[in-house]
Amino acid sequence: MTYNQELEKAIVEIKESRAKRACIQLPDGMKPLAKEIVDALKTQTNAEIIIWLGSNFGACDIPLSLESLGIDLLLSWGHSSFRKKEGWS
Amino acid sequence: MKIRFLEAPYDGEVKLCKDTLDYLKENNIKTIGLYASIQFAKQLNAVKEQLKNFNVITSQPDRTTEQHQLLGCDCFNGNLNLKENVDCFLYIGDGKFQPLALVYGQKDAKEFIPVVCNDPITNSMTLLYINHVQKIMKAYKASLMKFLTAKTIGIIVSVKQGQQQYKASKAIEAIYPDKQFYYFVDDDISFGQLENFPFVETWVNTACPRIGFDDQQQFSKGVINLSDALQANDLLSKASLMNTL
Repeated sequence: MTYNQELEKAIVEIKESRAKRACIQLPDGMKPLAKEIVDALKTQTNAEIIIWLGSNFGACDIPLSLESLGIDLLLSWGHSSFRKKEGWS
Repeated sequence: MKIRFLEAPYDGEVKLCKDTLDYLKENNIKTIGLYASIQFAKQLNAVKEQLKNFNVITSQPDRTTEQHQLLGCDCFNGNLNLKENVDCFLYIGDGKFQPLALVYGQKDAKEFIPVVCNDPITNSMTLLYINHVQKIMKAYKASLMKFLTAKTIGIIVSVKQGQQQYKASKAIEAIYPDKQFYYFVDDDISFGQLENFPFVETWVNTACPRIGFDDQQQFSKGVINLSDALQANDLLSKASLMNTL
């Protein structure tokens, strides 16, 4: 693996935000590592970890309605925050 | 719900390979537009050192958070906010999704600026030209022509937070008062559902603009992006790469 998974940052975020149920969203290239990431996060925190099955095309592509499952933190890998602009131009 | 982005930066050495340096030298490149994916955008010092004899410029496209950063949706003419002309674009990263935005973004230009892709992981270089998207560009032009003659248009609006463009899409009604517009909302675009609305003559996409290009073949009745729909006549009448392919 040549990309830094930044697991330490993820663990700190879960602890500092006191998340009880977190969802991880991975780009396709990291999806095979989901088990490894979930296992690490569950070992290091008390949060439940759920894996987003769907797409992760960019920071514009955030899953909807996760709150309805009681998810209070989304950890999204592979992108920086997205500065939305009205219109595509 | 809190959202935390983890950029997954590249851990290895980020440098230009010999093929890239040879290309720049052999093609008498003087000014380079340097871009990268977020995994590489913050670690370009070694690359810049290798390019110290060139005029290296860059910008920060509107939706990004870092200088040099390129997104797949940066596929519009002028969207890069570059202040100078460049002899080539140089993209640092793996994959072709982001650098293809630099190709699509030139569809309305008269002359093509080569896109040099340097992959630090495989230590290799590839070149992208307009002919890599020739088939898509021809279909896209046909969709533009179809849009102009169609009377009943389906406008696709995404509910994804970063892609919601419903308000922006309404501007189309004032420009084309003789057309009827019907609005469709979806999360991931359900291509298999398009045929269930046979009254729609052609589609306008306001979700991710790459759908209008990369997924053109998914739309049997054609699709164009909103920004092009707003200026369809002008785009078809000007001298451009799209119109000469």
